[in-house]
Amino acid sequence: MNRDVFLKRVRTAAAAGRSYRVTTNDRVERAAGYVGGGPDPIARFAEQATAAGGQVDVVDDPAAGVARLLQICAQHSARECIAWDHPLVDRWSVRAALAERGISVASAGVLPGEDAATRRRRLLSADVGVTSVGFAAAETGSLAMIDDGGCDTVASLLPPVHVALVSHEQVVADLFDLFDALESRKSADWPSSVVFITGPSKTGDVELKLTTGVHGPKHWHVIVSRS
Amino acid sequence: MADLDTVARESTSHDGGAVDFRAREHHEFLVASRQALESANLQLALARLGDTLGQRNRDAYAAYAGSAAMRELARGIKDRTLAELDQHLEALEASVRRNGGEVHYAADAADARAIVLELLKRRGCRSVVKSKSMTTEEIHLNPALQAAGIETVESDFGEYIIQLAGQRPSHLVAPAVHLTVGEVAEVLSRHAPEPLPADATALAQFARGQLRAKFAAADAGITGANFAVAETGTVVVVENEGNARFTTTLPRVHIAIAGIEKVIPRLADLPVFLKILARAATGQTMSIYTSLLSGPRRAGQANGPEEFHLVLLDNGRTRILEGPLRESLFCIRCGACLNACPVYRAVGGHAYGGVYAGPIGAVLTPLYDGLTQNEHLPHASSLCGACQAACPVKIAIPELLIKLRDRLHEAQHGSGMLESLAYRTWGVLLRSALGYRVATWLASRALGRSQASSRWLRWLPGALGGWTSSRDFPAPARERFRDWWRREGDRAPATPPRGLDSGGRA
Repeated sequence: MNRDVFLKRVRTAAAAGRSYRVTTNDRVERAAGYVGGGPDPIARFAEQATAAGGQVDVVDDPAAGVARLLQICAQHSARECIAWDHPLVDRWSVRAALAERGISVASAGVLPGEDAATRRRRLLSADVGVTSVGFAAAETGSLAMIDDGGCDTVASLLPPVHVALVSHEQVVADLFDLFDALESRKSADWPSSVVFITGPSKTGDVELKLTTGVHGPKHWHVIVSRS
Repeated sequence: MADLDTVARESTSHDGGAVDFRAREHHEFLVASRQALESANLQLALARLGDTLGQRNRDAYAAYAGSAAMRELARGIKDRTLAELDQHLEALEASVRRNGGEVHYAADAADARAIVLELLKRRGCRSVVKSKSMTTEEIHLNPALQAAGIETVESDFGEYIIQLAGQRPSHLVAPAVHLTVGEVAEVLSRHAPEPLPADATALAQFARGQLRAKFAAADAGITGANFAVAETGTVVVVENEGNARFTTTLPRVHIAIAGIEKVIPRLADLPVFLKILARAATGQTMSIYTSLLSGPRRAGQANGPEEFHLVLLDNGRTRILEGPLRESLFCIRCGACLNACPVYRAVGGHAYGGVYAGPIGAVLTPLYDGLTQNEHLPHASSLCGACQAACPVKIAIPELLIKLRDRLHEAQHGSGMLESLAYRTWGVLLRSALGYRVATWLASRALGRSQASSRWLRWLPGALGGWTSSRDFPAPARERFRDWWRREGDRAPATPPRGLDSGGRA
């Protein structure tokens, strides 16, 4: 339909509808809904993410985090991983550690000379997706994944196991804080995909019985380093 | 194009056979609800629904101290946004364009279907995956796509089951809740090389395998939108399975279809809704996946669609926006009112006949589909208020239902002579002390005496019989309070005899 006619119709209706506005309490403030992270946001994050069905390990340093990642890969007999190209993944020397165990690690992005079909096959056959996060929200135990250069959303979606590596400075207290952090990205380079993840893929569609791993990962691991 | 909106409604069986209300939209609330009450499987499923989702919703509100405040804030945002809706839509359009996407305007269902078909045709799309969307149900998109030879697959597990069973969703967030695990196994087994076990996990794994192949091959992904953020041009899709992520990540075209009421002005408004949406829907703190999708993939990005289209749908919404039922546009489709409603929990979603079921469906279906055809829906409520108490944006559903009853009465009876005479007489009697005394004396004689042994009247004469055909009427007291007082008043403080004056429950 013609855009201008459509919008004119909306304008007229919105104006007429103003006689039917409801009364709301304007004194309510956003602060009333602020939960925050408590005295130890990392502990709160772990508690909430666990409640959502995740397996969370809080470790003292990156080295312990990588050790835990290797354990998880061993548990799932992983042979192939896809990983983000992300500063934290580099800093924690994840690729070298995995390679040492004979686990191949490839970028979740497009490899040189790779066509779309080949890439898709490679992604679909990966055993574990290794990512970091944009932010982690303590209030809800959620991870915010921002898909821009190197942080491909497929790494947290296609493999049956997703392991997210989080450093303490990425943890924010409340969902409101998370959105404040996203605000700064709002202008020029607003990403095409931001996904909040709070648990393993889940459905209750048959008799309301919860089942995990229906489309996305069945196993959702988060490793948080306190330093 | 054939009028799919009418076809979807042609439920009355012309061949005289029984009608499957699970498969077709209809206007037969009375027949369909009676059938539902007689289905043991359905009754079991509905009992489970109230005990799980309904209870979890109440627990989640109680566990979150900020829930009352956030519900009030969310309600305020909806109200303010609707007051300037045209401006927010223009802002949304500008943002979507800035992100490299396109916005389309659909006046009605046929318009929306034509837009989607044209887009698919233009890009040579032969197969579509969909994530759960009530709006696409509303515009009857699937039959239109199939008629055009486009393979269309629902990817939400519940919707996938429903699609293969040839039925309609019966609940906003749990579309297949009316089916038992055995029935689901039977439906899916028809598409499996060997019979599948009646086990929820095994069935989900089967669907996962089937749907992965569909995701990988699909040309286009179609979704609804829980919210559309004007400021950033973002379509927000909330889900638990990950199928919406697949739908919006792998195919080369993404088409999102949203009612115009889904727009919220600012990114900062979104967390207010996210803090209450999942708590209302399933009692979760957050749903598993919340996708904020803002246009096609950017340069240097390896994932996401090459094209992004947002179809904004009116389809009767502006007509509601300008009137006294405007508040119904606040709905964020969480399903909490369904789980809370004693009527929904007795008759299930299919009885309501339209796309939207439960208390909010009893408001929306008459508004979108016509009041007189859906005359029973505004009455399918005891007005107990459980829906309003559960609603994350506190929609005054009972009040809206009463307004619809008013409107319906006006349409069906006008201001009837007899009725207005009755009320005028009542008015006269109540205005004078003598009139009141005579009237109450007569009532207590006529009704109280006639069935003196019971405090409930099981039968009323003439036009009043409509009341007693399905429920009892409280008998007036045998003795009026004024008579009792004259006799016993000095000997206080006696307990008045049971059933005095009110005649109702003591």
